Amino acid sequence: MIKVEGLSKVYGHGPARVVALSNVSLEIRTGEFVAVMGPSGSGKSTFLNILGCLERPSAGRYFLDGRDTTLLDEDELAHLRNRRFGFVFQTFNLLPRHSVLRNVELPLVYAGASPGERRERATVMLERVGLGHRLKHKPPTLSGGEQQRVAIARALVNDPAVILADEPTGNLDSRNSHEIMALFRELHNEGRTIVMVTHEPDIARYAGRILYFLDGAVVREEAVTA
Amino acid sequence: MRFADLLRLTVENLAVHRLRAALTILGIAIGIAAVIAVVAIGQGGQAVLLSEIEKLGSSRAFNISVDVLRGEAPTADTFKLEDIAIIKELSPAVEKLAPVTSGMMISIRRPHSQAKPVLSQLVGTTPDLTAVMNLPVASGRFFSAADVTARRRVVVLDGGLAEILFPNGDALGRQVFVQDVPATVIGVTEKQSSQLLGAMSLNKYAFVPITFAQDILNTRVIHELDGVAVTEAAVPQAIEDSIKIFRKRHPAAGVHYTGMSKKEGLALIGKVTGVMTLIVGAVAAIALLVGGVGVMNIMLVAVTERTREVGLLMAIGARRRDILQQFLAEAVALCLVGGAFGVLFGAGGALAIARFAHWPPLVSVWTVLLAFGFAAAVGLFFGLYPASRAASFSPAEALRQL
Repeated sequence: MIKVEGLSKVYGHGPARVVALSNVSLEIRTGEFVAVMGPSGSGKSTFLNILGCLERPSAGRYFLDGRDTTLLDEDELAHLRNRRFGFVFQTFNLLPRHSVLRNVELPLVYAGASPGERRERATVMLERVGLGHRLKHKPPTLSGGEQQRVAIARALVNDPAVILADEPTGNLDSRNSHEIMALFRELHNEGRTIVMVTHEPDIARYAGRILYFLDGAVVREEAVTA
Repeated sequence: MRFADLLRLTVENLAVHRLRAALTILGIAIGIAAVIAVVAIGQGGQAVLLSEIEKLGSSRAFNISVDVLRGEAPTADTFKLEDIAIIKELSPAVEKLAPVTSGMMISIRRPHSQAKPVLSQLVGTTPDLTAVMNLPVASGRFFSAADVTARRRVVVLDGGLAEILFPNGDALGRQVFVQDVPATVIGVTEKQSSQLLGAMSLNKYAFVPITFAQDILNTRVIHELDGVAVTEAAVPQAIEDSIKIFRKRHPAAGVHYTGMSKKEGLALIGKVTGVMTLIVGAVAAIALLVGGVGVMNIMLVAVTERTREVGLLMAIGARRRDILQQFLAEAVALCLVGGAFGVLFGAGGALAIARFAHWPPLVSVWTVLLAFGFAAAVGLFFGLYPASRAASFSPAEALRQL
């Protein structure tokens, strides 16, 4: 379960001071699928980054399964990112010079898994996202939809409880977007928690709840009815 | 992270920019090659010099002179010819003792010849010198004590010098002019085989009775004494006795008599040449430093280029130390590969030069290990700043980079 209290994030200081998040308090239950919407600069990406321990809040507290993550050191945060979270980005963020298989294996490299185990788990994940036939390809030779599925396989390879997605369909066409969202729905049905930032209302409707951000605060919450 | 994974990632990352890596490696290779070549040539030269000097004479040899380090020079009253016999009489440790009055750049020429005079090193001494230095006489004879007493105008030429003056090999019994004083060649020594000593023109000796040298050079100054002790163990005693007697006989000489055994002399030369090798090696190490700066530069470029990748790696679970380790490994790998090429180039260069100079190259295991250690240290030192910079990024910040 995710619980944040009085979460704030401030960048810079003096005249360059930017308040990205101010005093956000909310809860996300385990297994929930939450979409985060709002205009550019409303703080939704910052919120997602803090949830994923990619950056620390300036103020406030963030409890993950009851543990205060603001008290953890860098190595413990890296461990959380490795085991508890799977990240999916708008620009995929695949390493272009490594094969699809290597890209998916990478989180397992940092987890210290053996080469055999890595290969097996990465292959299973790639088969699951329908790319079992593309293992040796380099990411730039794949279509956008395929690349995002590689990224999802990478996010899943350590079997994380939480998927954090920052505009996962932002660079995809409508057909691919809905295919990716079908995959997300599957992950949700497996009991994983999903927090997804998106601009697109029809994508947001895959979630069970939508949070609307404006000027660093949650201004509205909406439950999606099927 | 496993070591095999680190190694594989390092190779893969460096392979992306092959030319860049190769040029950086070249920089390090040149630095390492320079250090290895210089040290190998220096050590080789030192070994040759020492062994040749060692071959030059008895291991029981010693030398008495004044303290030149204090700027002292012998005068006509510092050493006297009469002292020699007294020392040999009084000290049981001294077996032979030869006074030396030497003249540099003494012209020697054949009479009635248009050939240019040869500049030689004149050594006025007594037959005792043959016990100190290796002076094998190839033809004729060395001069005798009687020649010295009688101030006979005779000369023994070094083989090399005789060859220049009498290319036909008929030096014996001929006349030469030593500084315009006529003298008869009564002996020719064997030619010095050493290239090294030859290059230092130590093979143009002309040996004459010291009494004759006094006439040629118009001086009564004896520059130094070369002696031989009865045994190697007696060398210090021989030196001590000689100095004591000189002090007693010439209390007003106003100089510090000093003695040095051949062993000490060799050690001193070894020390001096060793320091010279070290200094030249240090200069060569500047090339390595420049190579190191190249590594740092290229690693900084790599960190900037791969900032986003660093952010992604952190997002999927890389710890700061994994990132640090990755970039350090790349810097060290560049340096070690450079070091390997440098050892090859350096040893090859040293070998080539040694062949040319006719002395054995000394590429010791230690030199190679030291070079590798140096290369690794350069990699660590110059890689640390870029690597720690990469590791210091916040993941979110790094991911925002283009």
